[in-house]
Amino acid sequence: MNLHSVLVSLQNLWLSSVVRGDIPGTEWVFPIVETCHVLALTLVFGSIVMVDLRLLGWTSRATSIARLTEETLPWTWTAWVFAAITGSMLFMSKAVTYAGNFEFRMKFVCMALAAVNMLVFHFGAYRGVAQWDLARPPAAARLAGGLSMTFWIAVIFFGRWVGFTT
Amino acid sequence: MLRAFADRLAATALSQQFQNHLWVVPTSQAIHILCICVVFTSALMINLRLLGVGASGRSISQLTGSLLPWMWAGLVILLLTGTVQIIAEPVRQFVTPAFWAKMAMIVVVATMTAVFARKVRANAARWDASSTRPAGARVFAIGSSILWIAIIVCGRFIAYTSAFYT
Repeated sequence: MNLHSVLVSLQNLWLSSVVRGDIPGTEWVFPIVETCHVLALTLVFGSIVMVDLRLLGWTSRATSIARLTEETLPWTWTAWVFAAITGSMLFMSKAVTYAGNFEFRMKFVCMALAAVNMLVFHFGAYRGVAQWDLARPPAAARLAGGLSMTFWIAVIFFGRWVGFTT
Repeated sequence: MLRAFADRLAATALSQQFQNHLWVVPTSQAIHILCICVVFTSALMINLRLLGVGASGRSISQLTGSLLPWMWAGLVILLLTGTVQIIAEPVRQFVTPAFWAKMAMIVVVATMTAVFARKVRANAARWDASSTRPAGARVFAIGSSILWIAIIVCGRFIAYTSAFYT
């Protein structure tokens, strides 16, 4: 069983045809799922960029980084799970097309880079957060904030482009 | 009359330029989404804080003081990128009620937010203590959250409803 046949069988599922709007009465499912995806991703990016800007030292300098991270992370993850569920539904509807789309692939490359950056930061510079919690973060933390923001902006750009190239 | 105006706008040199350069609309939309993330997340953080959820480390006046400048800046970029999209595809925007509902709600929520910001600035102590906070704060928080969500939904549905009216 190769990847192509997996994608085809995914696309042939009943749920995929519902999202695609193939079944009479389901024409509005795709726009509704896509709108939910947009609502979820606004919170993912919005909460991430808030922490990134603080790491860069551009905003909320009086706020503790550890506290800000603690407060925003549950929202980021909850919203991310919603974005992932709705995103998977959108993907199923045209799995073969999306999987072969350059912008779609780039979006996931950028998300993977953002994940690696997050892990490096979390198990690296962030361990010493107590020393710079209320100060300008060290270079490694500023770099992590800048990279995270760059990767996520790229995710949004590529994501929007998918809609124009599929 | 509106349709005639849209047709005239679509025939202008600037609109033609935007239509001929295929990157203009997706780029403008991607920047539009990035700003929605900033504005919507900020609004929701303030609103939830007013309702007693999250961001407990900062007072209402601290939170509005740091987030509102970002919201207003984001709104300005939203208006600019939105204008680019109107000039590029005026017919698509003007024919659908989703566009006009979105515009009306933006005026309402922006006015509400400006009034709210002025009141907090005028008497920060009263707004910071939950015991003296005006009862209208909860109404504002719920109303503004619903309006922002509805604005995002209408924005996305412009793309899906235009076809019915053209």
